Amino acid sequence: MPPILKATSVLAAVAALSWGLAGQAAAEEVAQATLYGDMSAVTQTMLDHAGHDGNNFLMTNGNYSQTRFYPNRQINTMNVKHLHPAWIFQTEVKDTMETTPLVVNGVMYVTTAFDHVYALNARTGEELWHYKHKLGPISIYCCGPNNRGVAAYEDMVYLATLDSKLVALNAKTGKVAWQSDIADPELGYSETMAPTAVNGKILVGTNGGEYGIRGFVKAFDAATGKLLWTFNTTPENSVGVWATKDASGQDLHRDIAAEKAALAKGGDPYKTLGGGVWQNPAVDLKANRIYFVVGNPSPDLDGSNRPGDNLYTDSLVSVDLDTGKYACHFQYVPHDVWDVDSVSPAVLVDALDNDGKLVPAVLHGGKTGFVYVNDRRDCHLIRVSEAMVPQENMYALPTHGVGTRMLPGANGGVEWSPMTVDPALSLAYAINLHQPMHYSVKEAAYPAGKLWLGGAFSVIPTEQQWGNVTAVDYNTGRIRWQVKTAQPMIGGIMATAGGLVFTGEGNGLFKAYDSQTGSQLWQFQAGAGVNAPPAAYSVDGKEYIVVGAGGNAQLDYKRGNAIISFTLN
Amino acid sequence: MMSARLALAALLVAGLGASSARADAPPEKAALCAACHGEKGVPIDTSIPVIWGQNEGYIYIQLRDFSRGARQNEQMAAIVAQLSRDEMKALAAYFSTLQWPNLLQKSAPDDVVRRAETVAASAQCPQCHQGGYIGASVQPRLADQSETYLLATMRAFRSGARANNDWMTALLKTYSDDDLKVLAAYLAGL
Ligand code: HEC
Ligand code: HEC
Repeated sequence: MPPILKATSVLAAVAALSWGLAGQAAAEEVAQATLYGDMSAVTQTMLDHAGHDGNNFLMTNGNYSQTRFYPNRQINTMNVKHLHPAWIFQTEVKDTMETTPLVVNGVMYVTTAFDHVYALNARTGEELWHYKHKLGPISIYCCGPNNRGVAAYEDMVYLATLDSKLVALNAKTGKVAWQSDIADPELGYSETMAPTAVNGKILVGTNGGEYGIRGFVKAFDAATGKLLWTFNTTPENSVGVWATKDASGQDLHRDIAAEKAALAKGGDPYKTLGGGVWQNPAVDLKANRIYFVVGNPSPDLDGSNRPGDNLYTDSLVSVDLDTGKYACHFQYVPHDVWDVDSVSPAVLVDALDNDGKLVPAVLHGGKTGFVYVNDRRDCHLIRVSEAMVPQENMYALPTHGVGTRMLPGANGGVEWSPMTVDPALSLAYAINLHQPMHYSVKEAAYPAGKLWLGGAFSVIPTEQQWGNVTAVDYNTGRIRWQVKTAQPMIGGIMATAGGLVFTGEGNGLFKAYDSQTGSQLWQFQAGAGVNAPPAAYSVDGKEYIVVGAGGNAQLDYKRGNAIISFTLN
Repeated sequence: MMSARLALAALLVAGLGASSARADAPPEKAALCAACHGEKGVPIDTSIPVIWGQNEGYIYIQLRDFSRGARQNEQMAAIVAQLSRDEMKALAAYFSTLQWPNLLQKSAPDDVVRRAETVAASAQCPQCHQGGYIGASVQPRLADQSETYLLATMRAFRSGARANNDWMTALLKTYSDDDLKVLAAYLAGL
């Protein structure tokens, strides 16, 4: 289908529906308008069609494919210059903000640092309720008291907390329906991700790769909070094939003989090997499988006591949705000793394989600066994109003392920031960091739940840092366009059928670019770092773009507490 | 996992059974602590840290680390040898609810403050110890802690004698002894 036609027909459907309802119902009821479902709860059907729902934003990355592609085009390249704030909501917590607002039938759900949840009227920004999670005595996390949002399912919203609990809240009142333990926070497990809701299950991974955890993805029963299955991201045999090269064919400089000796002496390190999963899995409903990426091995920089490839760290993994059983995996960086792991969530697209055939594919933007394109069926690699940031001295081993200079730095490339895809253009958009770092190693034994880096990655203060927004054609791996930004970028990005991509910066600028060319069409100064992924929705036939401006703990961008919703006139 | 209803029921039962007793009565073993950490929260000696009003997670982790030997101190080793994990948790919960005492320490002079703030900024101490150095969860409160103790424990981190946090050790190794003195004076005077 020609792209323009497709977008137009979706718009027409959305517009027809909202206007139709507006004509016959009172304003209050219009606020409840939605394409699918019974207008009071989030049904599985609504979630299945989230990618075509121009009214709602139903999950953190927009839809199960995680394209973050919003199908309405009322706000577009022609009129985006008139975009202005419709309302600003200020939360009680002025700290690092990574939330993606969800919008369900005119109600918005946002979260803040330290696990607060707010329900807001999406038209006015008026507060409907506020839930403040009472954190237990122990919460251990490396990189700020972050939270990335809730999942919505039926009549509940779900929050995963810094003290590693899963909390189900009544979506209408914010009252706790149930709470389950995910893992023991004393051992360094914590939660910052929004859960994923699908087919009666709530899926959640874990943080803790800096603490020697054993990573996992767990599925809980959405109604009761009962644990249904656990997939451990570090299998009991984590050794693998002693790979000497990364996915792009570059040498990893491993000392395989020394590793084999360490294995003979210490055994398989899987129990404290890390492998956090702290971004959402993509869901392939047809194959009944989920796809997620697994984070770094523990300790980050010292590989001496974790011999082998360290499966499935730094990998793409697919498991069965119903059982959590392994389906396939692909490791991007075997035996990582730089923390150049896989964090940015997997995105499902149809892409051309190397014979020019359209195949079900999965994309990932790496800290390495590559976009990886894999075949969804068996996880094999189709291609690696051009590097989006400078790579220098790649995979030089960390040394004692000051350390080795290598690019990219340990934050990427692409950090956790989700990518977005415009399927009609076959472009994936990623935001990147350029932060030259020294990588140093210091051997240290497992410290039982304390920070376990095995060395340090330190920004080189004399070198310039910057960021960029990059559009990559995933059918060729080539960069279509690239725009440099003043600072390293972290947060996320969203494309719309209006021909736009939206993303924010640490200096407070929130910008719209032409998704075909990268030319900047609009910007707004939010007054604090815009380091959260944008979302979009429509109420009463009016489109809004919404984003959090609360800065970022990890890169120390100016903190704030605003949720800003933008619209035209 | 516990359902909300069950949790609520448990809370009600506990509340009904022990309402006022529970709120006031310190855990049995808390009496042991006063001998050194003070009857009113002011330690008997400046080499002993304040634990009244310290953060719950931090107190528990220290007791745990003393018992594992990751942090070594003869006096505390003798104490924690008598404590179960649940008792440690109860003591941590109890002491964290008490009010931080006034040690009558003086604010550091301006030049010390300025130098300390520069040192602290370069290491982003407040990123973990929070604005005002009141800490949170497993990060300790440093503000108004005993100056003698702060200096001793920072030196112990730096030398590796206090071995329960590699990260603090690595960080403090990058500072001179003068820097540590300035930091201790500054933090104690907050
Ligand atoms: C005989 C004296 C003595 C007794 C009794 C004692 N402590 Fe201590 N405590 C110390 C000393 C000395 C230190 C400092 C150790 C060091 O410098 O490493 C300390 C340190 C601590 C710390 C670490 C505080 C920090 O800021 O790092 C905690 C927590 C603590 N004690 C709790 C307790 C509790 C709870 C009890 C009672 C169950 C208790 N102590 C009984 C002497 C004592
Ligand atoms: C990455 C987080 C982090 C940063 C940054 C940090 N600290 Fe700490 N600090 C901790 C943690 C966690 C502990 C508790 C250690 C333990 O588990 O025993 C601690 C403990 C301490 C203690 C011991 C307190 C006591 O009661 O015994 C002092 C003193 C201290 N830090 C000072 C500093 C200073 C000064 C700086 C900046 C130069 C700093 N810290 C930066 C995390 C941090």
